[in-house]
Amino acid sequence: MEIRFHEELYDGAAIDEAAALYGSYATLAVTREPGGWIVKIEAQDGGADAQVIAAELANYALGRSIERSRAVSPAGAAPDAAKEAA
Amino acid sequence: MSEVQTVLGEGAVQIELDETFYPKDAIYGAAYVFIDRCYVHLDRAGDKRVRVTLRAKSGASLDSQALAGELENELLCQAWRLSIAAENRQLIESITARALGGAAGPPGLDELLAMDIDEASAFDDPLGIAMSWEEKYKKKGAEPEDAASGAAPAEAAAEPSGAASAEPAAEKST
Repeated sequence: MEIRFHEELYDGAAIDEAAALYGSYATLAVTREPGGWIVKIEAQDGGADAQVIAAELANYALGRSIERSRAVSPAGAAPDAAKEAA
Repeated sequence: MSEVQTVLGEGAVQIELDETFYPKDAIYGAAYVFIDRCYVHLDRAGDKRVRVTLRAKSGASLDSQALAGELENELLCQAWRLSIAAENRQLIESITARALGGAAGPPGLDELLAMDIDEASAFDDPLGIAMSWEEKYKKKGAEPEDAASGAAPAEAAAEPSGAASAEPAAEKST
């Protein structure tokens, strides 16, 4: 199965982190597509269900994307200020 | 199109939001609240529209209608918090800057050496450190008395001897 992450909503580094973390539970392949990333997930024999791994990976990627976006631009900060800080 | 569109499915909820009403940070904030209970996925559903999908984690039951309502409430709350933070940003920054400035402590030797002190400002004493205790803490309105008492000691010094010498003389004469 595959799961798609939109580039405006997810951080690439967060997806890489998630893939590295869940790589030991399934066979993963991350590909860059126009507009986002696609992660292909294949369950390992006797391992966890691919759907569960995909959902957990997506949760982790979203959590890290949110944390990273907060680290760059604190809530309420003007977007210009965030760009300058970055 | 309305700003929120909800699709209730079996074990899943899909909500489409308009980013003009709910900024991305508000959507992030609301999604983060649900991460421990549900599987959350965000996707683009069109220009300026975001689709939030919530799915129950395995073993947990999901009341999709309640969850959708909770997410909408949380979105509103997050959007409002962002707006308050943006309105008070300057105040928060100024208070933080003052607090940090105060915590930095007194200036060091280098900062003192770097200070621009010329002859005009060198002897300024805005806190009255160089003033004498009497000058600094004298009673208000005590000046006339002081002035009188200032003049009196000379007279008093002269008087007692005169009076003392006059009285015995008077006594003597009677």
